[in-house]
Amino acid sequence: MLRHLLLAATAMTLVAACARKEKKSEAEPPKEEKAAAASESQVDAAAPASNVIRPPKDPYPSTYSPYASGVTLITGATILTGAGERINNGSLLIENGKIRAIGAGNTVTAPEGATRINAAGKWVTPGIIDIHSHLGVYPSPSTESTSDGNEATAPVTAQVWAEHSVWPQDPGFTRALAGGVTSMQILPGSANLVGGRSVILKNVPGRTVQEMKFPGAPYGLKMACGENPKRVYGEKGGPSTRMANFAGYRQAWIDAAAYKKKWETYWEEAEKYYGEATAAADETKKKSRRSAKSADAKKDQKPPEPPERNLKLETLAGALAGDITVNMHCYRGDEMAFVLDMAKEFGYKVAAFHHGVEAYKVADLLAKNGVCGALWADWWGFKLEAYDSVRENIALVDAQPNGCAIVHSDSAIGIQRLNQEAAKAMADGNRMGLKIPEERAIKWLTLNPAKAMRIDKDVGTLEVGKMADVVVWSGNPFSVYALAEKVYIDGALMYDRSDPKRSPRTDFELGQLTNGFTGGSGQ
Amino acid sequence: MTALRTLCAAAALTLFAGVAFAQPVLIRNARVHTMGPAGVIEAGDVLLNDGVIQAVGVDVAAPAGATVIEADGKVVTPGLFAAYSNLGLGEWGLDAEANDETTRDNFPLSAALDATDAFNSTSSLIAINRAGGVTRALTAPEPGSKLFGGQAAVVDLSGRIASVTKARAAQNAVLGYAGAARAGDSRLGAFAVMRGYLDETKAYAANPRDYKSRARDNDMTFADLAALVPVVEGRQPMIVAVDSAVDIRGLIRLKTDYAVNVIVLGGTEAWRVARELAATNIPVILDPAANLPGSYEDLGSTLANAARLQSAGVKIAFYNPDGGATHNLRLLTQQAGNAVAHGLPYEAALAALTVNPATMYGLGDRLGSIEPGKAGDVVVWDGDPLEVTTRAVAVFIDGRAMSMQNRQTRMRERYKSLERGDLPFAYRGQD
Repeated sequence: MLRHLLLAATAMTLVAACARKEKKSEAEPPKEEKAAAASESQVDAAAPASNVIRPPKDPYPSTYSPYASGVTLITGATILTGAGERINNGSLLIENGKIRAIGAGNTVTAPEGATRINAAGKWVTPGIIDIHSHLGVYPSPSTESTSDGNEATAPVTAQVWAEHSVWPQDPGFTRALAGGVTSMQILPGSANLVGGRSVILKNVPGRTVQEMKFPGAPYGLKMACGENPKRVYGEKGGPSTRMANFAGYRQAWIDAAAYKKKWETYWEEAEKYYGEATAAADETKKKSRRSAKSADAKKDQKPPEPPERNLKLETLAGALAGDITVNMHCYRGDEMAFVLDMAKEFGYKVAAFHHGVEAYKVADLLAKNGVCGALWADWWGFKLEAYDSVRENIALVDAQPNGCAIVHSDSAIGIQRLNQEAAKAMADGNRMGLKIPEERAIKWLTLNPAKAMRIDKDVGTLEVGKMADVVVWSGNPFSVYALAEKVYIDGALMYDRSDPKRSPRTDFELGQLTNGFTGGSGQ
Repeated sequence: MTALRTLCAAAALTLFAGVAFAQPVLIRNARVHTMGPAGVIEAGDVLLNDGVIQAVGVDVAAPAGATVIEADGKVVTPGLFAAYSNLGLGEWGLDAEANDETTRDNFPLSAALDATDAFNSTSSLIAINRAGGVTRALTAPEPGSKLFGGQAAVVDLSGRIASVTKARAAQNAVLGYAGAARAGDSRLGAFAVMRGYLDETKAYAANPRDYKSRARDNDMTFADLAALVPVVEGRQPMIVAVDSAVDIRGLIRLKTDYAVNVIVLGGTEAWRVARELAATNIPVILDPAANLPGSYEDLGSTLANAARLQSAGVKIAFYNPDGGATHNLRLLTQQAGNAVAHGLPYEAALAALTVNPATMYGLGDRLGSIEPGKAGDVVVWDGDPLEVTTRAVAVFIDGRAMSMQNRQTRMRERYKSLERGDLPFAYRGQD
């Protein structure tokens, strides 16, 4: 009741903000897509000589650079690898920012001069990944000045990018770090049918957002079902009904498909015209060779005109092409079922339903379609579409064959103890007879979100060669008393509960009240 | 003597909990946190009879006809007492029809509003929170456009019609920025309006008939002034939402000047004023998870707040502003656990969930601890009650076993298997 008015308003915008669909990674295709995307952006940067116009795919590139990683050997810990395994009395070797070795007992050795951490009695997990955060776009302090998460001026605002709203000085980042969070997807709010692009960040403080951007991570698209768009636009020209929500999504996809086609046609013609050999134009090239008169014909032809760029449709087309993951805020099971059909109608893939208070009602459909449920353990009832909550939601989504459960926060407070949220969900699942050990439940916080965000080749598990994003917990992280003691990101010790010098403090908090070092980052 | 089997299987519990026992109940062999002078009793027994706790100790004899529950070392605590909530005043959010928590726009009445007029003892939230071990709650109307929300009531979570434990147990008010927003967008306005109400109430209380006949220069209603009489007479505590140290000091002055019995709600910076709060005997109901500078008045938020206040001698209790004041009172244990993780002594955390709220609202003689003669509000837990993986396995209110079923457990039963059956899902799980 404190700041009742303010909180209510904030809550509404926040709640109104969250929907995202994502493209869930399957075994192989995502890597190819990523590789393709990477090579295209290289072309953007390195081949200005090309005559074929291509909108830049990465105009605000990551400038993230890991901080110094020593060689660190952690021994004696209970390790949950994030890949479903548990290693008692485990050892982990970090070198050059990467996980160099992991194993039981003394099977892992370190070179001389390595920092040795005796973690007897402690637990080690991969860094926690929050697929649904509004840190930076709805930062602390929460004021009109900083409220940058919902472009609630039109129901489809695919043209906006969350990164342009992120305030890197949000103190919330430091609190999340103290909770073991090493990567986050920052999403626009859920006021809109299509809210805009997300950005994936490493939780390393930066002066600029680019310094925080997860290198190579794809963009996400945020979309929202149900009450929020209805409430926000009901008296502003619509949509005012769920049927109009769907009409709005479908029209957007139709426009995006047409836009995508225009560009593809242009690229095909332009490559043919200029005789440029790109991988995508192989077929065209072969045909050109066969006809053997393209060079002569060119003189008589006008060069193909590129279509006019449209930022909104560019993002939507990226989602249709599979370059951008789709994150869908959706509470009700029946709406999720329609979204799954809509994805088939337009040939895209939903990565995850976010919030999904009723995901347990359609857990089989989610699993069958390879869509994750990014869920809370027990937050519910703040509106009618969030009324049918059960404490077993996460466990029931997880229990399906190929089920993919993710614990998400959507909250600057909740993100600080995602481990506790997973613990509650695990405990309730086990009480109903599901057998969920800690080594499985930790995946809800690590591997599963990494997969849905398509950063799982780099993070999400403690496997050799991956980024050394690692948390040392004071005890079993599935306990209310466990605290993250050390947090490594790319092998660099970014947070140490016992060392004020390893605890970031944002510009906003610098020189404000000093609370004394409490072990909590930034406070 | 009806001997029930050990409370280990959830199924057995469900059967047991489905019946309300009027006869005596003996809970045997538990780790009992009495929260009273007896402290923690290992291998203790608790005897409930006639709605009250009849005995607590070691080797309590079972009277004839008693139901015996073998707790097998499980943990027993007093029923949890939510120090601040809007329970029973709203069923789901964002829908005016389902909410009576507050008034809108410039509705003229404020302090006169009475939670008992709308409290819905059949709200589905009650059984859901009760399954989390909550047996009593203060339920408060939220301030609308004025500084006062109205009179809060202490209720039990039995779901019975007559579940108001104490009507008009506290007045609910705001100062700080929330107060400023209702008084000219300035804290100066908020304090001036608050003092104005208290002054006028005193004048009114001295001679209501005379007061009513006088010309006045304010828009305070007689009903609101009448409702504030017990506040200015110090008989009814006034909960005041304030966070910053500055606002808390203002509230301390208010208490000194008017002899009102105030309780701080929120108090994110209360630790900075801890000694003054202790000296003036002002309790604080706080959110132990608050650690962000969410606004200009929260710059000093820290997870150490609870521990620092407690060590200074301030009486504390917990609340959860993040939707937790209605739907998730059951997470008070998690909040308390986090306070312990950040330095609050364990028994102090339990006290914040039990005996402290009971005494704040003048119910310390009836509620909050397991002592002979007190109400039979008792919870059996399958582990450390502050641990996130622990759940309540049996809940008693006024000596009666409560059902552990609720809308959520039924929904789970309906959908736990998604196999297509002989009939649609709508036919399942209705028991």
